[in-house]
Amino acid sequence: MSNHLRLACVALVPALLVAGGCAPTPPASFRLNMVEATSPSAEKDSVSAQLALTPVQQRQVATILTAMFGTPDEPVCLPETGLDPAKLKLAAGPVRSDIVGRKNGLYREHCVHCHGITGDGLGPTAAFLNPYPRDYRPGVFKFKSTERSSKPTHADLVRVLHNGVAGSSMPSFALLSPGEVDAIVEYVKYLSIRGETEIALMQYFFELDDEDKGQLKETREFLVGEILEPIAGKWASAAEELIEVPEMPADIDLAASIAKGRELFHGDKANCVKCHGVTALGDGQANDYDDWNKNIVKIETKLAALSAGDADAEERRWASEFHEVLDGDALKPRTIPPRNLRHGIYRGGRRPLDIYYRIHAGINGAPMPAAKGTVAPEDIWHIVNYVRSLPYDFDGELGADRAVAAQPSTVGGLVASKATPASEEN
Amino acid sequence: MTPGRNLNRPFAGPVFAAAVLAIVGAGCGPGRVAGPVPDMAAAAKLRDVLKAGEAAGEAGQAAAATGTGWATLTGRFIFAGIPGEKKVLVVDKDMAVCSKDGMKLYDQSLRVDAASKGLADVVLFVRKSSRVKNPVPTEQLFFDQKNCEFLSPVFAARVGQPVDVRNSDSVGHNTNISGSSFNQLIPAGEGTVYAPNAETGMPVSVTCNIHPWMKAYAVFRKDGYVAVSAADGSFAIPDLPAGEPLEFQVWHARSAGGLKLDRPELKWSPKGRFQITLQPDEVKDLGTLEVPAAALGG
Amino acid sequence: MKRLTGMFWALVFLAVPVLGVATFAVAPSINVWLPSDVSAHGHEIDSLFYFILALTGVVFVATEVMLFWFMWKYDAAARQGEKATYIQGSHTLEVVWTIIPAATLLFLAIYQMNAWANVKMRRPDMPPTVEVVARQFEWRLRYPGRDGLLGTPDDLHIVNDLHLPVDEDVLVQLKSMDVLHSFFLPNLRIKQDAVPGMKIPVWFKGTETGSWDIVCAELCGWGHYKMKGRITFVTRPEFDAWLERKTAEQDATQPVPEASGEIVAN
Repeated sequence: MSNHLRLACVALVPALLVAGGCAPTPPASFRLNMVEATSPSAEKDSVSAQLALTPVQQRQVATILTAMFGTPDEPVCLPETGLDPAKLKLAAGPVRSDIVGRKNGLYREHCVHCHGITGDGLGPTAAFLNPYPRDYRPGVFKFKSTERSSKPTHADLVRVLHNGVAGSSMPSFALLSPGEVDAIVEYVKYLSIRGETEIALMQYFFELDDEDKGQLKETREFLVGEILEPIAGKWASAAEELIEVPEMPADIDLAASIAKGRELFHGDKANCVKCHGVTALGDGQANDYDDWNKNIVKIETKLAALSAGDADAEERRWASEFHEVLDGDALKPRTIPPRNLRHGIYRGGRRPLDIYYRIHAGINGAPMPAAKGTVAPEDIWHIVNYVRSLPYDFDGELGADRAVAAQPSTVGGLVASKATPASEEN
Repeated sequence: MTPGRNLNRPFAGPVFAAAVLAIVGAGCGPGRVAGPVPDMAAAAKLRDVLKAGEAAGEAGQAAAATGTGWATLTGRFIFAGIPGEKKVLVVDKDMAVCSKDGMKLYDQSLRVDAASKGLADVVLFVRKSSRVKNPVPTEQLFFDQKNCEFLSPVFAARVGQPVDVRNSDSVGHNTNISGSSFNQLIPAGEGTVYAPNAETGMPVSVTCNIHPWMKAYAVFRKDGYVAVSAADGSFAIPDLPAGEPLEFQVWHARSAGGLKLDRPELKWSPKGRFQITLQPDEVKDLGTLEVPAAALGG
Repeated sequence: MKRLTGMFWALVFLAVPVLGVATFAVAPSINVWLPSDVSAHGHEIDSLFYFILALTGVVFVATEVMLFWFMWKYDAAARQGEKATYIQGSHTLEVVWTIIPAATLLFLAIYQMNAWANVKMRRPDMPPTVEVVARQFEWRLRYPGRDGLLGTPDDLHIVNDLHLPVDEDVLVQLKSMDVLHSFFLPNLRIKQDAVPGMKIPVWFKGTETGSWDIVCAELCGWGHYKMKGRITFVTRPEFDAWLERKTAEQDATQPVPEASGEIVAN
């Protein structure tokens, strides 16, 4: 090779590599909830090819959503959503500074790489995380101060941003200014309302009568009145659905409370040990899923049954399309292990109040059930005190509990009245 | 340096080029399934419509025809196929109670009466009714669980009607009605009263998180015009509004979406719906409704 | 033509020391110089830095200028027909310019030992003020709480927001929850790798109130770049009040009414 040719090759390689990065990037766009579009049903075990949305129907949903909510760069919020457009403007769009030097594009700077541009928990880093980042679209949030199926309040979401979620990859954004945190929270609510509207629109196709010809009615009465307002209304009423927490008596005898809590924990009213394990290590059971993963498991089971049985051509085509959709738009499902309470890592917050909330209302979206109505409020406080003592419980409680575990479990649950060293110390 | 081909490494150039292309190309894999592209012009037009605050929408629906009087609808579902072996559920908790004496638990999603071939647990409900005869009943319905399974695989209630969710078992359960605010611990031998406050569309699943194999379905309707077929497949819905076209939705746990039957005179739609207009004081018997195995294949 | 080529390349090489010195001269005014130093030991480290800079700077400029001078003076085009002198090298020269740098480096090694020992070896005899646990991608902090002991139920847990009393010796117990991180306080001239499995003491004394950065200085994953915390020095009474307030928030058994705009969190 002559010198000139050699020089040309050497110069070409970096030029190619650089040019590879210089393609004009299209503006960011929301992605349709393809899993829901292929199986639009609240009960994912009974989905089939007939229910799936046609491409025309998918396009109609995408167009309606663009009309109601805009794009990632230019969000739109109808007044019925109850959202503040100024805050959305701060959080949306590419990262840049505005005229007064304030940083815009906060969601894209801080949240997109895990939570995705559509808030679907499918950002580029999501697959590497355990637990997976939250998918806002079903409108289910775990850590809040409201009753189980209510939405979180604004303050609840601010708290999650401020503290992060200990034990997960959600970092603390305590170092952002309150205005920035508020804007991000507003944008998260926007993505959640948008996601729930999308699911409601997709599931509504089944409710259509024949004369609608498989097309949603694009009227204000339907889109805003019937679809959007119930969703936005739940967010608005969250502040009225706060859990009422009775005072923990200031002069409480902590040791006695912890002993009572231990009894309740092992007892058959609260049944904590069934999932959290006799030694509270979270080893009671390991085969349940949270709602987001459970849907994918149900779909995968359905698809597996389809390929095992004799399905017709249409079902087979739908199943193979669905496999492709799952490849790109769903993360591999993971079981949700009950929390190991001896770690002292509390995802929803470590205040006694936070643990009270978790026990009283359970955790929405997770298998943790509500003890409300079954366990009296003062008793919940006893369980809270017991749980909070577990990480510091070094004195052989573990040994005592292990002996109980070795007995065959008797009818009615574990024997509650076993004397232990801790309770003897009272 | 002597220009010219290096005879010791004749392929250096092409190999190098191939390596570079491989590195660059490695980033170009198949992406996600292409989603739909929204029609931006139509979206902008629709946005104006939504912001304008048009309350009229489509020139109002035709006033629903109403009549007078009440009627009853009955019928019987039978299964026209051969129900296979019931699937055994995997029971791995509280075995002392749930697998007592080697007892096995079975998947109850397809219950066919051996003698009459009646198909149980088919749900029918009216999609929209203009009037209701009776107010919300105050007697409690019972929904119970024992031996680590729900005793009713499907149950129906009216919105506002109290349901005594009971646990007659000897271990604690938690009853989780999906989509509602109800996911509660129910200790052994106790119960709690739940009054559904919203209607479900299609039936929703009821599970227990402590015993994940437990599964039932619940359907709540505002007007209460809902029935679940009994063990012999028969059902009856009394006090339906007569003189107006009623559209019924039919559902079974194993049908995806609605239950499609072949009854063209009822205008049975692929979505599992049929229409019928009843005369006052009529007791309309739909007769034997045959459900082919294919309809419950999914 | 050839002479111009020779001059051109010699001048290119002259640009190296010229631009090098110019960058350093301009750096403080465009804020790319050493960050402000608010620690008690920082001046010792900074002086060492300046000393080495001066030493190496002088040598650098001298060698680069010599390089330019020889390129210029002995350019082949300017000395047509002159033949280069063939020498076998000079053993003496080689020895000299090996011994002198070696001695200099040895001198530096001994000269800085005290500074190093102050920061890394002479641990003050005191209980830890705070435990810093590095985690992907945050700094989890734990204060001992009222009983003064770490690892008891009254510990205060905070994330990323390190408060410390000013003008007091502070001992940090540094751990890592997962992978290697590095606890880097630029304004306190402190950098210590957090090694999983080790409990590493880090000590310093802040001399000015205010807020400064904590950054991670050991690549720990995709979030390494955003693993930022904040260290705030306040007076002792303010510090105690802050601890009290945060502990009370952490012990909350009743929801706090949300004052407008106030973020209340533990």
